Amino acid sequence: MSLLAFFVTQSLNALSQAALLFFLGVGLTLIFGIMRIVNFAHGTLYMLGAFVGYSVARLTGSFWAALLLAPLAVGLVGMLFEFAILRRLYQREASAFLMVTFGLALVLGEIIRLAWGPDALQVEAPQTFAGIVFLLDEPFPTYRLFLAGAGIIVAVTIWQFLDRTRLGLLIRAASQNPEMVSALGTDVNLLRSAVFGIGCGLAGIGGVLAAPLVTASVGMAATMIIDAFVIVIIGGMGSFLGSLIAALLVAFTQVFGEYYLPDLALAFMYLLMLLVLVVRPGGLLGKEA
Amino acid sequence: MLALAPFALPLYAMTLLTEALILGLFAMSLDLMVGYTRLLSFGHAAAFGFGAYASGWLLLHTQISMLCAVPLAALLAGIVAIGVAWVCTYATGVSFSMLTLAFAQLLYAIAFKWTSVTGGSDGLAGIPRRPGPFGFAAFGSRAGFYYLTLIALTAAFAFCRALVHSPFGAVLRGIRENEAKTLALGYNTRLYKIAVVALAYALGGLAGALYAPFAGFANTELVFWLFSGQVLIMVIVGGSGTLIGPILGAAFFLVVEHQLSNYTEAWALFFGLIFIAFVIFAPEGIWGLLTARFGRAGGETR
Repeated sequence: MSLLAFFVTQSLNALSQAALLFFLGVGLTLIFGIMRIVNFAHGTLYMLGAFVGYSVARLTGSFWAALLLAPLAVGLVGMLFEFAILRRLYQREASAFLMVTFGLALVLGEIIRLAWGPDALQVEAPQTFAGIVFLLDEPFPTYRLFLAGAGIIVAVTIWQFLDRTRLGLLIRAASQNPEMVSALGTDVNLLRSAVFGIGCGLAGIGGVLAAPLVTASVGMAATMIIDAFVIVIIGGMGSFLGSLIAALLVAFTQVFGEYYLPDLALAFMYLLMLLVLVVRPGGLLGKEA
Repeated sequence: MLALAPFALPLYAMTLLTEALILGLFAMSLDLMVGYTRLLSFGHAAAFGFGAYASGWLLLHTQISMLCAVPLAALLAGIVAIGVAWVCTYATGVSFSMLTLAFAQLLYAIAFKWTSVTGGSDGLAGIPRRPGPFGFAAFGSRAGFYYLTLIALTAAFAFCRALVHSPFGAVLRGIRENEAKTLALGYNTRLYKIAVVALAYALGGLAGALYAPFAGFANTELVFWLFSGQVLIMVIVGGSGTLIGPILGAAFFLVVEHQLSNYTEAWALFFGLIFIAFVIFAPEGIWGLLTARFGRAGGETR
């Protein structure tokens, strides 16, 4: 394999990995930005997306239906949780949210295990992207290319949504000064429900898209939530661009670390995070220290 | 009453009670950080796991007795914690929590990969309760080990009680209520935070160091983030900001886990629900409910 081909395929690998991480990280960071909540259940919602996606894909026979319906379902679960439980806690300190969402992660994880069983479930990639393509004479799974593309599309969509739409404007405003937004006549509670739902829905998209790659399994939440936290912290809590940069950084560190120093690969990500935090305690693009 | 327990209880209850004491010690150590200083650690399993691996390794690969290995492991955990705390205290609030989590996961990764020392995914097994000289052999038996644990917990409790009532403890509460103000009063709050993290890790390490010879094994689950979450649950459900609360919380956790797992496989489901209910409706925990119930009589004894 030529060096160039190696770097191209590994970089594309990293890009597809970054896309998955970004789906989680951006949801977490949006939620944190507007609600000051660290959502511990985010990994479990991602897992829920994978399992619901599996069921929808089996029932309808279409991966695309799963990609559409599962994130909606996950977003709905998130909004229900926000409405029923988080809303009671807005007067309390940040740790209350961390704990209550940890509780949700436990509960949801068990429900998933009861509903779908403990075994890993294989989800078929859509026909169009199931094969392999040759890049510089090296075989490469088409699905990973599709993932990288999906990541770019979603990133651009969210950016345009935050930048151009009225709801995006309100979200940015409320993350800076919720009292003012409320005083100007916007229902901030409704806004919070919406953002929590959108964030959870993004995790759901990540879950559906990850399923053909890693199968839907009850262990998938645990590894992913930690990675997503790392991304949010490296990027800076509440920063959209930060989460994008951090997802790329972490994915490249993971993929190339795994290749060159497989024994230390697990540690690399944490070392990267420690390094960033020591230099910039608020994260790369974070405001607060 | 606890001292007489071995004469009255059946064997399985003794084992459960010993485990409850060990977890109680673990939860109490975390509360020094969470309840007294408001340093929300999400990686306290690192302390427990480190202590368990350290004492397990010492008992397996050296000839020193249990009574030396356990305190030594706790001491090591405390020393390592100084380095951890030095980095973690660069951050505050949620970032601090995430950093402690990252360190615990780093340790988890090491425990997984450094097979020659930690046994990798198999962990360390067959850890002996090696008795020391001078008739300490009695600690090796089931009842003896229970007493050893009870002594450790009582000593740690007395130590923590003295600590939180000392001027040092007052500064910790100052940091909890208003760190900027405490800093302005001339206290180097970062040093105090590093000290309390080191103490909490040493005591958490002590709990882990006791667990290794108690269970006979140490594995990666003891360092996993789920365990960090569980001990946090014990603290909150029991009552944070008190010393007795977390111990009650640990006992409650074990009993509920034990009882629920008799009836249903999905005990974690109900436990999650119980936990959520406590956070929402009873943030003061079991001990808070008890003291509110019995008013003045119980309120003063915290």
